[in-house]
Amino acid sequence: MTTEKKALIKVDGLYKYFGDNHVLKGISAEIDAGEVVVVIGPSGSGKSTFLRCLNLLEEPTYGEVWLEDKLVTPVDPYLHPDIIELSKTYQSLFAAEKAKNSGRSDEEIKAELIAKIKSEDLLNEKHEGKAYKSLMKKIYNENYINVNLARQKIGMVFQQFNLFANLSIIDNITLAPMKLLKLSKTEAEERAKALLDRIGLADKAQAYPSQLSGGQKQRIAIVRALAMNPDVMLFDEPTSALDPEMVGEVLEVMKELAKEGMTMVVVTHEMGFAREVGTRVIFIDEGVIQEENTPDAFFSNPESPRLRDFLSKVL
Amino acid sequence: MKDWFADIAAQFKLNFIDGNRWQWLVEGFKTTLIIAFFATILGILIGVLIATIRSTYDKTGESLKKRGGIGIKIFGFIDRICKLYLTVIRGTPMVVQLLIMYFIIFKSSTKGTLVAVLSFGINTGAYVAEIFRGGIMSVDNGQFEAGRSLGFNYIQTMIYIVIPQMFKIVLPTLCNEFIVLLKETSVAGYVGIRDLTKAGDLIRGRTFSAFMPLIAVALIYLTVVIILTKLVGILERRLRRSDH
Repeated sequence: MTTEKKALIKVDGLYKYFGDNHVLKGISAEIDAGEVVVVIGPSGSGKSTFLRCLNLLEEPTYGEVWLEDKLVTPVDPYLHPDIIELSKTYQSLFAAEKAKNSGRSDEEIKAELIAKIKSEDLLNEKHEGKAYKSLMKKIYNENYINVNLARQKIGMVFQQFNLFANLSIIDNITLAPMKLLKLSKTEAEERAKALLDRIGLADKAQAYPSQLSGGQKQRIAIVRALAMNPDVMLFDEPTSALDPEMVGEVLEVMKELAKEGMTMVVVTHEMGFAREVGTRVIFIDEGVIQEENTPDAFFSNPESPRLRDFLSKVL
Repeated sequence: MKDWFADIAAQFKLNFIDGNRWQWLVEGFKTTLIIAFFATILGILIGVLIATIRSTYDKTGESLKKRGGIGIKIFGFIDRICKLYLTVIRGTPMVVQLLIMYFIIFKSSTKGTLVAVLSFGINTGAYVAEIFRGGIMSVDNGQFEAGRSLGFNYIQTMIYIVIPQMFKIVLPTLCNEFIVLLKETSVAGYVGIRDLTKAGDLIRGRTFSAFMPLIAVALIYLTVVIILTKLVGILERRLRRSDH
């Protein structure tokens, strides 16, 4: 284990299959505290699925997601050579290879077999033996964080706002802090009012979501997530369902948030936002990261032809 | 005309005043209300439980199955039992269920009203479960995801967000179901329970005049149903506040 500073979110070897539809095909990324990572890509590229895997609204098929030094997903044995080595599958393959007496070193055989097991998905949970299982369990228990606890630290904003339709605005914002952070009603309401003041919607506290415009709803949704004091905020196409004249007000709130140093991962089609606010831009297409760079280099010097093609269409 | 009034008055006296027969109706009405009220509570409990199990299985069963393990097998088994219950209860007549409960399952019981509460409750539960399940499924999945994304677990999300919205959606259908239940309890007389209908019928048997007691019984049912419908209307209007 290295002692270097851990990234806030670390994604390792993320795959997501919906039946035969392979949406994510091996995504690894690190997001440090204070970064504003903008994810762009054509529709159907897997960028929303990637975002939803970060807080496990979508369960990855393979791969691990780490929040600081805590494991959010189950352990993925394919990412740990020491787990693979303990598996019966590996051991029987190794014995067979040794028996051939090809004169290769153990190290060579080991590297080849691990690559083979990974690429052909040979591990079978049920038959891998006790040592394998107990190591899996050990790694999991040592690093595990309850998914609900992890989600308290990861705020999320949806394309369709998803404000709770049965609750007033103030109740939308105070529900989670009261029930999960155990704030008193007055504390939670103070926090909510301060947040509402910031976005200039204090007069809407008693209104219901259906009485608000799309832009107002989305700003409330941002504030609702912020009321939990998250470490990172995920935005899933926050302006895509808005009328054009309301996009500005939502982006303004997000810009302010970025200025205050909030760590953000933003899936969006707003190239202006990416260029102006992003500290890093990631281009996802066909389930893999095709390119990532600082905004300047990303937009002025796109390397991959796919990205150049995409940018020529959207800019 | 005068004769007619005199006749009505005589009939009224014969059927309700003589031998304090109006008390039979009062007693019967009480029994009817007791059966309907407790059966409603039992029905809601059964309904919420089964609807939650069924919709949880429908929503998450696939992904759990993939992961395997004993848990999902037990869960699948419980889901199948729920389905069996729904099929049997909705596929047989209420009166037959009541007769089976009274003469076979609780053969030795002397508490007719209790058996009736159980029978009607179990029967209503099946219909309520399907109403609730439809309601849960029709709450936008985004509401559920928003709840989970804030850190609520499955049950908290259900209790704070999904079920309150589900209730609003199903309320009219649900109340209809209970109005149907109230009227349906009139078959309790089959197993010798003196509910409102049976009381009217007993008066008819005693006085050999059908008109007064039966019309009185009908009017009582009608009044209760009208009052309930009004109350539901008020409740619905209050719940609708949130979606102007």
